[in-house]
Amino acid sequence: MGQSDQFSGRLGLIFASIGAAIGTGNIWRFPRMVGANGGGTFLIPWVIFLFIWSIPLVIAEFAMGKRSRTGTVGTFRIFAGKKFAWMGLWTAWISTAIGFYYAIVAGWCLKYFQLGISGGLTGDGVDTTEVWNTFLQNPLQVIAFQFLVIAITLLAIWKGAKAIEKVNVILMTSLFVLLFMTLGLSLWMDLSDGSLDGALFMFTVDPAMLSEPEVWINGLSQSAWSCSAGMGMAITYAVYMRKDEDTVLNAFTMGFANNSISIIAGLAVLSAIFAVSSDPLATVTNGSSAITFLALPEVFAQAPGGAIGAFVMMAGFFLALSFAAITSMISTVELCVRNFVDHGYERQRSVLITSIAIFFFGLPSAIMWVKLDAAGVAFPEFLEVQDHIWGYGLMFSGLFIAFSIWKYGYIKWKKEVELGKAPPGFAGYLGVGVSAFRDDYINTGDNDIEVGRWWDLCLYLAFPILFSVLMLSYFGDMIANTEDVWNPGNPKGLGIILTFWSVVAIVFISLNKLLISRPLYRNVPEGADADISLLPGGDDPLITVLGEDVPVGELVAETAD
Amino acid sequence: MSSTRRQRSALVAIFLLMMPLMLTSVSSTVATSFEENESGNTPEGIWSEDYANNVHPWGGDDRIQFKQYHDYDSMRQRMLQLAEQSYSYQGQDVEIMSFHEGLNGGINARDVEMTADSYKGHHYSHPSPWMKITGGGEDLEGVFGGECNDFVGDCGNYEDIPDVQMVGNFHAREWMSYEVPMMFLEMLAHYYGSVGVDNDGDGLVDEDPWGDSNGDGILDDDGDCLSLAAEYQDSNGDGNPCGPGDLGVDEDFSEQQLTDLVNTREIYLVPMLNVDGNRYDREEFCGENAWETCPTGGWRKNLRNNGPQPLPDFNEEVDEDCDGVDLNRNFQFEWGWPLGATVPLVPGTCTPAEDEQAGITNNDVYTGPYDTTDNDGDGFVNEDNVDGEDDDNDGQLDEDWAGGNSEPETLFVQDLTEMNDDDNNLASDFKMTLSWHSFSELVLYPWGHCTGCETPDHQQLIYHGDQMAEMTDYTNMQSSDLYPTTGDYCDWQYGVHDAYCYTMEIGTAFHQQPEDVNHIAVRNVGVPFYVLEIADNPRERANLAMENISQQNYLFLPTDVDVPESGDIPIDVCVSNQFPYSETNSFVKYRMVKPSRLQSDYGPREWATTPWESVQVERVDEACTTTEGNGTILRAEIPVSESATGKLHYKAQITTLSGSESIYPADGSYFELGIEYRSAYGNLASSLFLFVIIAGAVWGGLGACLRLMLSDNETIDAEVV
Repeated sequence: MGQSDQFSGRLGLIFASIGAAIGTGNIWRFPRMVGANGGGTFLIPWVIFLFIWSIPLVIAEFAMGKRSRTGTVGTFRIFAGKKFAWMGLWTAWISTAIGFYYAIVAGWCLKYFQLGISGGLTGDGVDTTEVWNTFLQNPLQVIAFQFLVIAITLLAIWKGAKAIEKVNVILMTSLFVLLFMTLGLSLWMDLSDGSLDGALFMFTVDPAMLSEPEVWINGLSQSAWSCSAGMGMAITYAVYMRKDEDTVLNAFTMGFANNSISIIAGLAVLSAIFAVSSDPLATVTNGSSAITFLALPEVFAQAPGGAIGAFVMMAGFFLALSFAAITSMISTVELCVRNFVDHGYERQRSVLITSIAIFFFGLPSAIMWVKLDAAGVAFPEFLEVQDHIWGYGLMFSGLFIAFSIWKYGYIKWKKEVELGKAPPGFAGYLGVGVSAFRDDYINTGDNDIEVGRWWDLCLYLAFPILFSVLMLSYFGDMIANTEDVWNPGNPKGLGIILTFWSVVAIVFISLNKLLISRPLYRNVPEGADADISLLPGGDDPLITVLGEDVPVGELVAETAD
Repeated sequence: MSSTRRQRSALVAIFLLMMPLMLTSVSSTVATSFEENESGNTPEGIWSEDYANNVHPWGGDDRIQFKQYHDYDSMRQRMLQLAEQSYSYQGQDVEIMSFHEGLNGGINARDVEMTADSYKGHHYSHPSPWMKITGGGEDLEGVFGGECNDFVGDCGNYEDIPDVQMVGNFHAREWMSYEVPMMFLEMLAHYYGSVGVDNDGDGLVDEDPWGDSNGDGILDDDGDCLSLAAEYQDSNGDGNPCGPGDLGVDEDFSEQQLTDLVNTREIYLVPMLNVDGNRYDREEFCGENAWETCPTGGWRKNLRNNGPQPLPDFNEEVDEDCDGVDLNRNFQFEWGWPLGATVPLVPGTCTPAEDEQAGITNNDVYTGPYDTTDNDGDGFVNEDNVDGEDDDNDGQLDEDWAGGNSEPETLFVQDLTEMNDDDNNLASDFKMTLSWHSFSELVLYPWGHCTGCETPDHQQLIYHGDQMAEMTDYTNMQSSDLYPTTGDYCDWQYGVHDAYCYTMEIGTAFHQQPEDVNHIAVRNVGVPFYVLEIADNPRERANLAMENISQQNYLFLPTDVDVPESGDIPIDVCVSNQFPYSETNSFVKYRMVKPSRLQSDYGPREWATTPWESVQVERVDEACTTTEGNGTILRAEIPVSESATGKLHYKAQITTLSGSESIYPADGSYFELGIEYRSAYGNLASSLFLFVIIAGAVWGGLGACLRLMLSDNETIDAEVV
């Protein structure tokens, strides 16, 4: 022992997970969603789903990671069973595949920070569309900033948990400060015409919109995506938890912090736009990258205080955005790296391999098919195709986590029935099975807050319903509105999604055997109450603790001819 | 245990783990096939693969794809299939097609008892197959709603819906003359109700409607054909680059307009009138490969048994020397008065083939036998032939004809026309009729029976003919200027029933090469759509258009619409002061649409199910300017909620006093007006309330967690100490 890698304290974990959760989704997607879904109306589903989707899932992830003490592959191997280790691979893959293009998006943010401080976005005759098009159509620049992001990420995670923690603490604290600064200026701007209509809009409910299913579905997807719930990120960071960490409180803190930042960012963006735009709702809902990179620079250029105000606002906002993106990038890369380390690879080598892969596999998204849309704004179609394929795959990672929990509960109940400790039948299942995971892994005494029956309801009832609603609404929409939807050659269709998913799933399922024939090294801190024998996968002789050898006999038996 | 072995297995694992990564590169190749289409001036570079290769979206075999001729059986089969298919518009099922053969019979308009057998061909005994097509008006009551007609055998008859008759293949060997109506039918069936289809796959919708829609003298309105490399511009090889029938010309018409036309017309489509003759031409006279065996000729007439005279022909075999009647010389109007026409010198006689070969006369245009009955029972025979004049001065018009309408096929057309009287005014309901023939690339209008004569509607007929000629790049002329005829369908429709009538002379041969079928049909298929459009009142439409009155009307562009701070949004139509508009029957149609999550990606297709609503216009006392001077503003107040955002789609339907409707914008599309949020963005009290709740929950929650955590930390630290 003694080799285990840990955060230095609770705040380290909190900052790291908040850093992972807060990304560009909070800062540029959230305001757009508020604008498109009836202002304050949108906040209602968005907050409700925080409690019934995001937080319960994060609680589950923390609880699993804290026990398994391995990344996603190991966690699924231990909790879902040997046959399902591939689910961990899926989870890791989706996160990494998103990382391929996320590094580029983070690079755009950095570029705009650079433009902000060099004054490239203000002044007479600056056409933000032209600035954007010129940048996007210059592959070397895009790649340079993508490279920069990956290099920063690599440095941050090179040394492990303590370094990750430090970087996150610094970046997140700066992000809070920068965002508050931007918010102050925005409110000032909005107030200068006598009314805070941006803020009013953001907190006014339109009763007619409240009955629109679209608003609720958007609220759910925003909550699901922006919080990183079900991504496997919380599993990964839980590996570095101290032995007696309070998983529930951490999950709540992370969820609240995520939404808090969204509100601040939403207020900042909407106030600024409402202050200067003649048709603020059209501006705010006008395409995803457009609002951030086209509208906001224009809006910020009109900040109070002349050139200095504009400079502060522009630089502050895009730096905050860059920080949000980089901290998410860190968690993405770490998620992949952790899995390599679990399987006996040296950390530095894993970091290097992953970073290089993310760089090279990101290149097509950076430079291929940069096109102009009907309005003459450049957009990277290859990147969008990637997002189209892998974005929805995230939902399945969440489903797999729920599956592990359902399976655990069912097996425990069956076992207890055999032992005569639990009544058979549905009532028995409800009594023992449904609450099994919560009883055994969540309410463990380390937590200040006892989690009640509501969590079971969320995982067993709300999750499958909401999951189905989300998938059906997305795919139904796609089928109804896309021509040639089944053709796998159509980059906007469903065919391409299903093709890539099934190829990935088939490759991973066939890799499963190889995966479980390899030793798994857990990252267990000294004195932790996480003995492998207490976990569902405890009978797996190839699972051991980092720094210890696998029982030699077993391994020889596996590999000897 | 060797460490190399361990390393190797590690490499394998890394490789396998990396495999999915490779997928990312694969995905580029998948979509690259799409990508290459974006640039370049090849057909595949601009359009979908299907469109560029003349593959029609309705699927089917070579016949249904117009790569090969239909024959009677396959055509009839396909008509049955299309009639049974289900159709819907805006989520409502509509039955738009019913299949018929011949008529049921009964007492016809001339008090003659007819039976279903009266309309069966002499030889093969098939009645002519036809399709009744209508959506049945605004309420979409369809082809089985409305009134039913026992004699004709159809339902879906509506007094206020204009009727159109379109007949093909009078002459057996003119095969394109039933392929064009079949393509028209396929288009109606495929596109009905599917609004906003990108027909050519170039990413644009409805960008190139029939004809020269923007009036710049170029048919290729969107310029996509013109953007091709020169070698691709004349895809039909007729020597006219980017002319009608070429890829990219008039290829993306408005499905909304098509759907509206089906809904607001009763269409009587008879693709193959002369089934007897057509079968004989294909099966006996020329054979399947008629374009090779009969390059310049073929069987023309029906299969009436004319001889050998005077004895009855017992063996029932077709006597090619003598049998058959030219169906387009058998209509009663000016029947049998050749005036130098290429007809037998004595009507009703049969010339043996030897004489024909000797050049004595031409038996191919036999008009049918003389009528020998005293039609009006006044003791005289044939004393008042059908010519629009009271020849015997007895006060009755054209009551004792000399002949014509003697054949099952012409009787079918006669009774279909005369027994279709939804409004019971004892006159035919058809104001617009069309017949298809081949060949010569012409548009012909009446008269056909006289040279140097003009109909009272001469200018009007020229006007519409010019429109159709422009669409097809054909020549528009009076029928008799080609050669005078007698007993012609169009002369009869116009002369007897006051219906405008055109004859399309399609193509360049009786039996075109099979590879030419498709592009010739495409070149001609815009015409029936034009005919449908003007069918409500072709005369008035021509008058208004010729005097440049209807062209002055316009719907206000979105940029000219004043959206008020609050209340309804006024949409104006400027109509010429000479235009006989009906305020009560003119509307602005609108729908409010809001972009949803995928709207930006998937375009206008999803609006197909959003129904249009109508607001009646009202004349307001404000003047507007037309190209010719002052106009009148008709205004509709569109109710749009002040908190609505999105797009207001609008178009206008302006109806004349006589009931002919025009849609603006004229290409069947609509205007789109961006609607901004107009109401207040919120009020202070209620937003403060929500702010307190949301911020309380989120920030309060965060605060509580952090406090709990910090106090926790202290205790832990204390324990550690």
